[in-house]
Amino acid sequence: MKPAIEKTDLDVPNQLSGPRRIIGDRGDHFLRKVEGETGANISACYQCERCTNACPVSAYMDVNPHQVIRYVQLGWREELLRTTTIWVCLSCEMCTTYCPNDVDVAKTINHMRNMAFRSTVAPAEKILAVFHETFVNELQRFGRVNEFWLMGSLNRHPDVLKEKIKTGALKEELVLGFEMFRKGKLKLLPHRCNEMKKIREICRK
Amino acid sequence: MNLAFYPGCSLEGLANDYERSITAVFDKLDVKLVEIDDWTCCGATAAHSLSETMAVLLPAKNLAAAEKMGLDIVSPCANCFNRLTYSRKMILKNIYDVPWKVTGKTKVYDMTRFLAQPDMIDQIKQKVLMPLEGLHLVSYYGCQMVRPPKITGFTDYENPQTLDKIAVALGAISLDWSYKATCCGASIGIGRRDIQFNLSTRLIKKAHQAGAEAIIVSCPLCQSNLDMVQNEKGMPKIPVFYFTEMMRLAFEGEKCSIQNFRMHLTDPGRLLRKKGLVK
Repeated sequence: MKPAIEKTDLDVPNQLSGPRRIIGDRGDHFLRKVEGETGANISACYQCERCTNACPVSAYMDVNPHQVIRYVQLGWREELLRTTTIWVCLSCEMCTTYCPNDVDVAKTINHMRNMAFRSTVAPAEKILAVFHETFVNELQRFGRVNEFWLMGSLNRHPDVLKEKIKTGALKEELVLGFEMFRKGKLKLLPHRCNEMKKIREICRK
Repeated sequence: MNLAFYPGCSLEGLANDYERSITAVFDKLDVKLVEIDDWTCCGATAAHSLSETMAVLLPAKNLAAAEKMGLDIVSPCANCFNRLTYSRKMILKNIYDVPWKVTGKTKVYDMTRFLAQPDMIDQIKQKVLMPLEGLHLVSYYGCQMVRPPKITGFTDYENPQTLDKIAVALGAISLDWSYKATCCGASIGIGRRDIQFNLSTRLIKKAHQAGAEAIIVSCPLCQSNLDMVQNEKGMPKIPVFYFTEMMRLAFEGEKCSIQNFRMHLTDPGRLLRKKGLVK
């Protein structure tokens, strides 16, 4: 089956020409579930594309923000979790702010990201996904996040390291890191907070 | 007047100069900042990406600590402010099981908004030793401080004024531009350098077109993004200052040395010497 996430100029005719997808009860169930969990009134969306036009990164997304809302209404969970959209989103809240129907688009996309972390679907933007996880791991370690240790742990992740060596980003980063160290922007020794037990408990939720 | 100060992780490392300038500025004002005891990270973008519950409960510890002190919180970092306010709103709804004793009655101020109150502006005007005359500034707010307006409480989210008011109080010329609250790319540069580069370059170019000699910001991540992107070839060099650094310069006058600006990647020395603001 042709995946629905391929970017096309005219979505409707292309999807109609592909194999027909049966929505059934699934769409409604997924919509209710997401609406219940986020409190965003997704059913109110009338596809005016205000969110997509406001989004600063919609050009880098394979599924635009207004389409994300549509996908939720249709119950296309797996297609959504496979998109780059949920990782590229900056949570800048432009979409939510300008929506005429008060649909919380940013929260919906963020909720999809939460779902992606708990699902078995491989993230489309590996480094960004690993970065979020590493950030929380660092948080669990010391209670505060130290940039030097954060980047250290991120670069020690095998997938990230491989990717960065391939693209040459590692070398640039080391040069920049040294420059930052010279300017005194890096704190080498992290601070450890007292109530670490409770913080770790929260991070497991 | 006392306020609970929540610095946030960035101010310990990346934005150490921001913290130093804040300390110097508040020494001169009639407001005392008391750092929250054993504060922890607010979780930033990563926490709410992984789990909404975590994003509410992590800042709750700092809210609880401030409540114990009986003081309102002021936060210099835009994202910390956003996360603390969000957490407070959610705690008030009473749907989360918070491990700390917290009611959510403490107010959370953004530092620019606190300083842009009419009485604080009057105080700033009195303390200015050396007005920053002839310095053309644009103020850049970023996303997290102003949006979503329902959480942050900014009514003028399309054209925020807090930083402009402070800049004018310091004697500088604050220019209008359309990119005050356009995203700089935040932490996406870690995985997708191209996106962050595009977004940040656009901001620098537009600031240059608006005729700005410097940009003032209040977010550590915005500052480092806008500062670092100027390393690339063919970019106009516009120093990016924290607004408190400008306040410190105006308050201390001759005594403020160029050493205070040594952490900037784009050297602000040339501009400041040209304007006769530092020796």
